[in-house]
Amino acid sequence: MAEILKVTDITKHFGGLTAVNGVSLSINEGETVGLMGPNGAGKTTLVNMICGSYSADSGKIEFMGKDITKLPPWKRCKLGISRTYQIPRPFPELTAMGSVVVSALHGKDRPNRSFEDAYTEATCYLEFVGLFSKRNILARDLTLFEMRGLELARALATGPKLIFVDEVMAGLNPGEAAKAVRLIERAKDQFGVTVLWIEHVMAVLMRAAQRVIVLHYGEKIAEGPPQEVADNPLVIESYLGK
Amino acid sequence: MELEVKRDRLVLRARGNKWEWHIEPRYWRNPLIYVGILIIVPVVVYFVYRPLLPTIIEANLLATIAIPLALMTIGTGRMNFGPQFYIGIGGYTAALLSIHYHLNPGLTLIAAALGGLLFGFLMSPLAIISGGLYYSLLTLLFPLLFLELTLIFVDLFKGDTGLAGIAPLVSVGSFSLNLLAYTFITLIMMLFYLFIVDKILRSRYAVPMAAINDDEEVANGIGVNINKVKIISVAIPAMMIAIIGWFYAHYYGTFSGQTFLPLTFMLKIFMVTMIGGRTQIYGAIVGGYFIAFLELILIRTAGDMASLIFPIILLILLLVLPEGLFGLYRKRRYREYKPTLHVRR
Amino acid sequence: MLVVIETTLIYTFLLGSLYLLVSLGFSLICGVLRIFHLGYAYIFTATIYFTWMFMSLFGWGLIPSIAAMLVIQAGIAIAIYKGLVVRYMHQEEILILGLLFVAIILEQAALRFYPIQAGVYLETTMIPGLSKIGQVTVSNQLIFAAILGIVVTGLFVLFFLKTKLGLAVRAISYDVYSSRLMGIRVERVFMFIMVLVLIPVILATLAIAPIWAVDPSMGWGYMIIAILVSVLGGLGNIKGTIIASYIIGFCHSVVGFVINEPQFMGLSALIVVLIMLIVRPQGIARSETVW
Repeated sequence: MAEILKVTDITKHFGGLTAVNGVSLSINEGETVGLMGPNGAGKTTLVNMICGSYSADSGKIEFMGKDITKLPPWKRCKLGISRTYQIPRPFPELTAMGSVVVSALHGKDRPNRSFEDAYTEATCYLEFVGLFSKRNILARDLTLFEMRGLELARALATGPKLIFVDEVMAGLNPGEAAKAVRLIERAKDQFGVTVLWIEHVMAVLMRAAQRVIVLHYGEKIAEGPPQEVADNPLVIESYLGK
Repeated sequence: MELEVKRDRLVLRARGNKWEWHIEPRYWRNPLIYVGILIIVPVVVYFVYRPLLPTIIEANLLATIAIPLALMTIGTGRMNFGPQFYIGIGGYTAALLSIHYHLNPGLTLIAAALGGLLFGFLMSPLAIISGGLYYSLLTLLFPLLFLELTLIFVDLFKGDTGLAGIAPLVSVGSFSLNLLAYTFITLIMMLFYLFIVDKILRSRYAVPMAAINDDEEVANGIGVNINKVKIISVAIPAMMIAIIGWFYAHYYGTFSGQTFLPLTFMLKIFMVTMIGGRTQIYGAIVGGYFIAFLELILIRTAGDMASLIFPIILLILLLVLPEGLFGLYRKRRYREYKPTLHVRR
Repeated sequence: MLVVIETTLIYTFLLGSLYLLVSLGFSLICGVLRIFHLGYAYIFTATIYFTWMFMSLFGWGLIPSIAAMLVIQAGIAIAIYKGLVVRYMHQEEILILGLLFVAIILEQAALRFYPIQAGVYLETTMIPGLSKIGQVTVSNQLIFAAILGIVVTGLFVLFFLKTKLGLAVRAISYDVYSSRLMGIRVERVFMFIMVLVLIPVILATLAIAPIWAVDPSMGWGYMIIAILVSVLGGLGNIKGTIIASYIIGFCHSVVGFVINEPQFMGLSALIVVLIMLIVRPQGIARSETVW
């Protein structure tokens, strides 16, 4: 399997606080990689840096062999990186359909694509997440589960090769959580994306991920198959303390 | 007997019978009707009561300023508190070129448009680097500093009295016919701007603008080149507004920054926007006519107290009608995109 | 050469301290209430014209007129707070326009009742005459105004650092919600701040009234300075405002008195602020925290 993302020694300081300290990781095509760690470990900061919202203080990020460390976020999106947000950030004044149309128009460069084509594509993604019936409802009026679905549809509509899923389970009841996991697995199958899954819920990663990376205080403390990582004393200590 | 108003029809029930009238929105929303009204009114006024023509011209011009301003607001996601800056640019460019180089109005039009475009480009980085609140403050300051410049370089800009002797746009012979011609020119400009901006706002180019207005960072993450969109959203409306400055110069024959650059004019423009339902461009026409005729009525009835009463009434309107007059109508139409104005991010 | 340095230093001190008085209120309102009080200009106009109104209409002396003016100004500030700020604090476009309208209404009222020909003049000179410092001649009143500025700023800083109410203000400027949870009555403090910021402005206006011309539109020029100082210093931060006042004072003194092109003072200050915004957009000190 080809390696599509390679992060080398990436660091981010916020004033005196080091949020991410020399983290290196690599992701191969078609994998589902889990990213774990207690709150404040730097998971979202790491994802922000790879997606371009923050600029890395040092280190290198390579995507599909290309150095993207200095690229603005929208260029990275066009290359094939996409993400969902931990606290859903829908476009408040746009309908669900409108939100996905934005992505469909602006994600991967698709030649000869008109406004109407984008609409049709957007319906396709909305239907995939099950929101087609709610397509004309303003994004901010959806329930939390639907908003998460909309985030996923919006991320998928950009035609990504790598998608960062940020804590999808937070705030969902067990039924919705199971549906969300199935949705992401189906997304992998249908659209052929590689997934980096940030999650606290170990059970999900056990099932879905081939490999798990654990961060603690901005540093990588463990990496490997889920069962191995779960048994790792350092990991247990980071979550539960000594 | 019972009358029920539903969203798209009226239902009348009486004596065990029921009648329904469909309110065909298309019929009374047909733009041709309103264009027809807007064309007929000046002609009627010309024959009935000519002194109203300048007010109609002013109304058209106010609406024509508010329309590109709406485009700028949506595309940058910030509120520009100094749109009159570009009027100053367009007006002074046209005035100076007309007086010193005797260029005809067609050429000054091109110069004013280019000047607006240039300054729009120069000011656009402000929309990129400063956040909402700072952007509003700085755009507020720029026209006031432009005004200061006109007072500093008195020889060039002639300070308070302004530049005089600008070639008129139209010279048909009689003064009133000139006025009528100007009225139609402003009407055509207004409808032209309305058409263009409406087409833009319904096209695929409005989609990234809406995304930026709602959430810039997320838009950046899904592939929108926010800097490019913002620069264009400042430059093109700047050019459109500068053209109105050009018109003011050739219409009045004089141009003074004192008339257009201070805050009083800016507040008039903003009240047109507010009464028109914030960024609703059709509402801008309603707002323009409302404000222009309100000012006329005040000057006729209150005389020298008008400049005091006018802002008081505008303040009351602002507080009582936050959605504007047009906004009351728009509230019933839920599904279309109604952008929020962001001052603070 | 020495003259240049003397002129620069003296005017930087004088103008900077004066601008401190002028900008302190604006910056505080930005930092604590988190709104842009774009109607700030009315305070300058109101100071002069309400005082003059009491003097000319009722024939009162200077001190009673000033006292009455203070009462009216406090009333207006509270009315603005309750009528506009509370209701529209989260709809800034309406709030800013409303505040601008208030300022314009007061300016138009002043223009209407006391046009420029009415000869409005307040005899508030505390120290008449001129002084010569080194080679530079300055009006004593200006020196008085500058010292007043420093004293008032010092009092404000002491107030914010040492008193309980000052601590509440600082807390609100960091985080309104947590302050509410701690039992601070936020609305009362906001109202207090709106009245408090009148004091430096009134003092500044009364101090410079006899030496610099007064007219109904005088407020806007000072408000522009207040905006520039606040933006430069980091909105709402007193430390930043102090530093920024002297930077702008320096800029104005160099352009106005050394290079001797006073008309460019406003433009030069704006250029300085713009450069600062490009280099460090959040201003000199951390914005939106009072200290």
